[in-house]
Amino acid sequence: MNGSTIIFYLLAALTLGCGMVAVTTRQIFRAAIFLLFSLIGIAGIYFWLDYEFIAAVQVVVYVGGIVVLIIFSIFLTHQAGEQLPKQSLRRKLLSVLASVCGFLLTIIQVWKYSFTKSAGTPVEPSVGNIGRRLLSANADGYALPFEVISMLLLAAMVGCIVIAMKSPTAVVSKENKAQPEMVTIDQKEQKILVEEEIGEV
Amino acid sequence: MFLKDYCKEVLGAVQSLLTGMKRTGYYFTHHKEIITQQYPDNKDTLVLPERFRGEVIMPHNEMNEHRCTGCTACELACPNGTIKVITKFDITPEGKKKKAVDKLVYHLEMCTLCNLCVSSCPSDAIKMEQTFEHSVYDRKLLTKVLNKPGSKIMEGIE
Amino acid sequence: MWSFSKIAGIIDNWLNQTFSPAIALTIEMVLVGVLVIGLFALLGLVLVIMERKVSAYMQIRLGPNRVGPKGMLQSLADTLKLMVKEGLTPKGADKFLFNLAPFVAMIGAMLVMAPIAFARNFQMWDLNIGVLYITAISSLSVIAILIAGWASNNKYSLLGAMRSGAQIVSYELSAGLSILAIVVLTGSLQLSDIINAQANGWWIFKGHIPVVVAFVIFLVTVTAETNRAPFDLAEAESELTAGFHTEYSGMKFALFFLAEYINVFIVCAIGATLFLGGWMPLHIGSWQGFNHVMDYIPSSLWFFGKTFFLIFVIMWFRWTFPRLRIDQLLNLEWKYLLPISMFNLLLITIMAIMGWHF
Repeated sequence: MNGSTIIFYLLAALTLGCGMVAVTTRQIFRAAIFLLFSLIGIAGIYFWLDYEFIAAVQVVVYVGGIVVLIIFSIFLTHQAGEQLPKQSLRRKLLSVLASVCGFLLTIIQVWKYSFTKSAGTPVEPSVGNIGRRLLSANADGYALPFEVISMLLLAAMVGCIVIAMKSPTAVVSKENKAQPEMVTIDQKEQKILVEEEIGEV
Repeated sequence: MFLKDYCKEVLGAVQSLLTGMKRTGYYFTHHKEIITQQYPDNKDTLVLPERFRGEVIMPHNEMNEHRCTGCTACELACPNGTIKVITKFDITPEGKKKKAVDKLVYHLEMCTLCNLCVSSCPSDAIKMEQTFEHSVYDRKLLTKVLNKPGSKIMEGIE
Repeated sequence: MWSFSKIAGIIDNWLNQTFSPAIALTIEMVLVGVLVIGLFALLGLVLVIMERKVSAYMQIRLGPNRVGPKGMLQSLADTLKLMVKEGLTPKGADKFLFNLAPFVAMIGAMLVMAPIAFARNFQMWDLNIGVLYITAISSLSVIAILIAGWASNNKYSLLGAMRSGAQIVSYELSAGLSILAIVVLTGSLQLSDIINAQANGWWIFKGHIPVVVAFVIFLVTVTAETNRAPFDLAEAESELTAGFHTEYSGMKFALFFLAEYINVFIVCAIGATLFLGGWMPLHIGSWQGFNHVMDYIPSSLWFFGKTFFLIFVIMWFRWTFPRLRIDQLLNLEWKYLLPISMFNLLLITIMAIMGWHF
């Protein structure tokens, strides 16, 4: 066992332990924070593998983006500070069973697969290389997924704007109808007020 | 058109920010402007601004005479009952009764130093003094009688 | 001549000769950790006294002048006071997270220290995605603020945390775009490449007006990201008592306070590295004589000089401008900084492709 292995096991323990606490804790905010540490542990494993780019992207996307979003939605929900109710034993058993099944499936696949050393020279994971791969339309290029994902993101952004925007037609019709009435009420009130003042004087 | 307004707005904002920074930068580099008074150290040379108000006093001349007629204008002008004028009646040489001040009681602990009493005084009997080291251990010491014992009104003040 | 890289090299040689490589590496790591913590403590002391003096002179005051010569030991005395103060944990607070938050803030600040080049050949970790790493890790600072705000069980803290979360997340965009301007010009994310690309002149001089615009946008956004006035809505004294650290006292408060100043130092160091050449002395094109004269000034002095100049500018901002309202803050980002920096990035990309920069 050398230093590198020790670091790997430490990172794995951090990831798994924090993941475990994240699903077992009964306070939703703590769950989010432990999820964050778990994701940081995964980023650490990427760093350990010398895949700095993926690691940094992991931190940017999951830690800086998604967990912050989760925390924000927790802040905005009602009664987020209270402890969640205890789960029934049946539910617990079922969820344990489901996760064990998933774990076994993965482990069996990993064991079955015979890892062979790739014949070609390893690709240097530099940023320039990644960028070229991402945008090349060759056999091992990722131009199509890249474009598809960008379309997806565009659709999501347009959707956000549509949801956030008040529908312009409704607003216009409301304004047209509502405004004259408002004005008349205001004028009436003002008149009454003015009359009252005059009367007092 | 929109773009022109936008650029104008941005440039205007930058210019106004730079104006502000120029002012603070000027103060940062010009240490002569510093107005800090290092108070207990410079007690001997401390010069207070002309308009600084410390407490209300009643000036007396060398013959122990003041200018207060006891008209209670200051008491009426005071917004929080700091001044209390206790009057008495003097007998003038002609045998007439004349209103005069017995004691002008001044509660420094209640005074906000608003200067209304001084400006309301018709005979300029009271004024603001610049003393400011008023702290004492007993609150009673802050209640002062402004006219000195045995003092009387100056000749010719009505 | 003594330089940081020479001293580091001598220590490295000696350790490798006396111990086995693994132990030497471990000792070096511990040494680096201790040095970083020492640097943090020193920076905290220096920056706090600097801030107080700068603010005093800008407000025509004298500032601290009682402890030590010209009041220079004031922050040391303050640190002592904070150390002996009791660290209270309010009732009803989430104790674990409440105590965790200051450490997350400090660790986040510490991690960003790794790729910064302090002097020629003096860098902890020159990883090939340095700039991306910095932007990634600096997004961790918001987590600490959110944890602190939530765990305090206090409405002011929560409001402050929400505000600073919204602020940091939105200002990260234009900060990233203005950093990207330099990445486009250099063609590399590695900090040493970026510094070496400025050997014939700093980017702020080589890159014409677009880089100056990017630099200004960078300064504004990092001021916002470090939660400093005029963007200190997260801890607006007049509205939220002290924002997310309302409930903190003693050393835990000190850690937040320190993390704020460390973050200021780090963003200024990054700004100095990207736009002002890091430790690279002032070189002008091919003026050999001038460049040689400039090389005589040690590279660490250049780095710290530039960084402290930027820190001074950010302090200058703080003591000149009044605080923004939250809607003004978001308007500034989404209606002004973001469109301008996007357009600016486009200009810089064209400039880089056509080779119009020097």
